Amino acid sequence: MSRDLAVAIALARKDALAELRSRTAIGTTLFFGAIVLLLFGFALGPDARRLADAAPGLLWLAIIFAGLLAVGRLHEAETEDSALEQLSIYPVSRHALYAGKALAGFVAMLVLGAVLLPVVALLYRVDVLAAAPALLLTLLLGGAGFAAVATCYAALTVRMRSREVLLPLLVLPVVAPLLLASVKATTVALAGDPFGELGAWLALLVAFDVLMLAAGAATYRFALED
Amino acid sequence: MPPTTIYLAPPRRALEAPSAAVVTDLARLFGRSAALAGVTLAVEPGRCVALLGPNGAGKTTLLRVLATLLRPTYGTALVDGLDVSTHAGQVRERVAFLSHATGLYADLTARENLHFAASMLGLPREEARDRIPEVLDAVGLRSAADHRARTFSAGMRRRLALGRTIIGRPSLVLLDEPHAALDADGMSLVSRLLAGWKEVGVTTLVASHHLERLTDVADGTVTLTNGLVSAIDGAGVRGAIGLGTVPAEQPLAPPLHGAVAR
Repeated sequence: MSRDLAVAIALARKDALAELRSRTAIGTTLFFGAIVLLLFGFALGPDARRLADAAPGLLWLAIIFAGLLAVGRLHEAETEDSALEQLSIYPVSRHALYAGKALAGFVAMLVLGAVLLPVVALLYRVDVLAAAPALLLTLLLGGAGFAAVATCYAALTVRMRSREVLLPLLVLPVVAPLLLASVKATTVALAGDPFGELGAWLALLVAFDVLMLAAGAATYRFALED
Repeated sequence: MPPTTIYLAPPRRALEAPSAAVVTDLARLFGRSAALAGVTLAVEPGRCVALLGPNGAGKTTLLRVLATLLRPTYGTALVDGLDVSTHAGQVRERVAFLSHATGLYADLTARENLHFAASMLGLPREEARDRIPEVLDAVGLRSAADHRARTFSAGMRRRLALGRTIIGRPSLVLLDEPHAALDADGMSLVSRLLAGWKEVGVTTLVASHHLERLTDVADGTVTLTNGLVSAIDGAGVRGAIGLGTVPAEQPLAPPLHGAVAR
């Protein structure tokens, strides 16, 4: 195993362990995501067709809003007792630190998706089991792209006082193409992909992920500098 | 407490430059305020040098520049002949830094914190497995090894952070107020560590207000005042007082000498 990969896994494992112990982010973000879906459901009313049509968009909005909290929290944990400073002076490549933080963010996105998908199925009355493989693939690609972007901006804003406001302001415009592709892929997957569009939307997500991971790896070191 | 040489390893990389740390005309500005206003110093390998001075004199800034946490605004800083600005990655392989904050993860245990540090420092798994109990013994935390750092007192956290500095094999150790929050035993631990590092050839630069705790082990002292060197005493360290130049009969390491001779 290469040194960079070992560092990335060690960092992601550390984040996961700390989060499992403290449960500061998991509980709040999952509850936040679920409450967003519930409130949107109330706003749309009892019309089953309307709820099912809106489900893909609302699912991804809930995942992204909750994901912002989760990825932001992963970096905030590094500011307690100046751990980020210590992390910055370990003799490891900045690429490896980025990969580790992005991996932890990706895992958080998968957990969010795994919990919020059944919530959507229950509240919006959509059959997610029939489209499970395509939905899982969409979640993997969408989660990776979101983690790639949010990790970089979370590191950039973590030392700022207004980070809670700045992080969504910076991330949301960048992830707009990802949101569009993820919602479309989820919509066609739930509909059984009648026109064979799924592949094109997944390809767009792959391209987004590759581009954002490369950009994040190239710029993360600037975000770490004081 | 066993002798310090048992658990202190020699530097992984032998020092190649004649000076372990060399700063030349080093200035660091924060906005329009100069934390360092033109410091010129060279510390010999294997020496323990105390950095003294009042609050705001620039001690912490100097250590943070050498630790690659801050870039110099003007001038240069070299560690083992490597510029901290252009060779930060290689400098980090040689330096261990203990700052005011401990940099620990509160939700990890003492053992897990050290294990994470060992992973980041690239210690092989077997070496880390053997080394971590030794380090926990050395800093007096063996019985609290599996307790979360969140439950530790300030002194225990400081001890654990000191343990993190000895888990790797640095050639230059930078300690910023290492005695802070420590009881008498803890202060004695710092003295033993400093003596042990000197024995195995590790250079240490210690910013402290407790000169009485360093007199037995420090080879030399540097006093900073308002971002400039105001006094240099003892052996192992040379430099320029104020904005002056280094006397010709006391040449510094070649890179520094070249810079101040112009």
